Amino acid sequence: MAARSMLRSVWTSFAGLKVGATCPMVKVQQRIIVPQLPALTVQSRGIRQVVEKKDNKTTTIEGQILDVPAAPQPPNPTAKCPIYRWNLQHKYNYTDVLLLSQFIRSDGGLLPRKITGLCLEEHRKIAICVQMAHRAGLLPDHKPKLPEGHVPKRPKPQLNRYLTRWSIDSVKPIYKSGLKWSKRRMPVGDPALKDNVCYSVKPLYLKH
Amino acid sequence: MDGLQVGLQFLFTGLNPLQQILHCVLQWATFARSWFVIDARMQPPGKIATMCSVRLQGKHKPIYHAMSDCGDHVVVINTKQIAFSGNKWEQKVYSSHSGYPGGFKQVTAAQLHHKDPKAIVKLAVYGMLPRNLHRRTMMQRLHIFADDELPEDIQANLTEELPQPREIPRKLSEYTQEEIDAFPRLWTPQ
Repeated sequence: MAARSMLRSVWTSFAGLKVGATCPMVKVQQRIIVPQLPALTVQSRGIRQVVEKKDNKTTTIEGQILDVPAAPQPPNPTAKCPIYRWNLQHKYNYTDVLLLSQFIRSDGGLLPRKITGLCLEEHRKIAICVQMAHRAGLLPDHKPKLPEGHVPKRPKPQLNRYLTRWSIDSVKPIYKSGLKWSKRRMPVGDPALKDNVCYSVKPLYLKH
Repeated sequence: MDGLQVGLQFLFTGLNPLQQILHCVLQWATFARSWFVIDARMQPPGKIATMCSVRLQGKHKPIYHAMSDCGDHVVVINTKQIAFSGNKWEQKVYSSHSGYPGGFKQVTAAQLHHKDPKAIVKLAVYGMLPRNLHRRTMMQRLHIFADDELPEDIQANLTEELPQPREIPRKLSEYTQEEIDAFPRLWTPQ
């Protein structure tokens, strides 16, 4: 993105120049070819680690750039969204924790779309999958920090669950479920993930 | 006694005694009642119940007949750690009526599980068995335990452990650091 912004600034500076009237007869090419910068000179900010150093009275907080080894090239590098770059469009689920953990903060919240670069639909799908993974207990280390000395009033019942669409406290029991032709069904999973690849013979049931 | 019977049978059939004994042994083996074990940890109770009902009726055997009492015993363990999909813990309601006026009770799955961890699996299997007089005997052959501990006599009888219907997903803490590092970074901060 920085490279793009740099190129854009170069383009505007060139466009601003008035082409000298050397050959008025010759048609001046409107399109100015911007010099291609070699890859080594492209700047990227990189991932930094916050390091605090304390002297007698001064504390220096430094963001040291980590040496990240060269990552493997994605199979589709021209796409905008990282999931489309790696061709994972309809292939991930709430169980793919290694994928989901790359888009969450340490306390479980999602990172903003402007930083991760996801497209809107994929951002929403990942949000849904992260929610389901949290409720299934697959991300035990990404819980929000409780203030010290916090004692829960009632011990929460430890119930195993998976593919939970709604939040636990917001759901009410179905006291009258109705007759066979008009049952009030219990939703499972999410319709956003309906287009996922299904390797089994049975289709994905969203209403149980 | 058995030898006499075999000898007598030998008089009336064209088989030799060894073949006769083999036939007896095979008969015992096919009609023997086996004991299955299912671990219900992190499994949906409905899928566990279908596996149980199939084996309690004897429908997994080629010699099945409704009248021939060919059902097996099934032991379900760890029913306390059962997992419902969706929001069924809060939405699914188990109703019962005591028969007396004002005796209609409706309890959510979470409340029922808290009161009795075995009840959900028991009710699920009961609803999946055929609605005849054999159902009660089949339920007597079903043994449910909320945790891992089994009495010794049941443990001595077990013959086969059935595979779990649902694949348990791995938590992030269960992945090794090498696996986490091997997974490529999808995006880098700019």
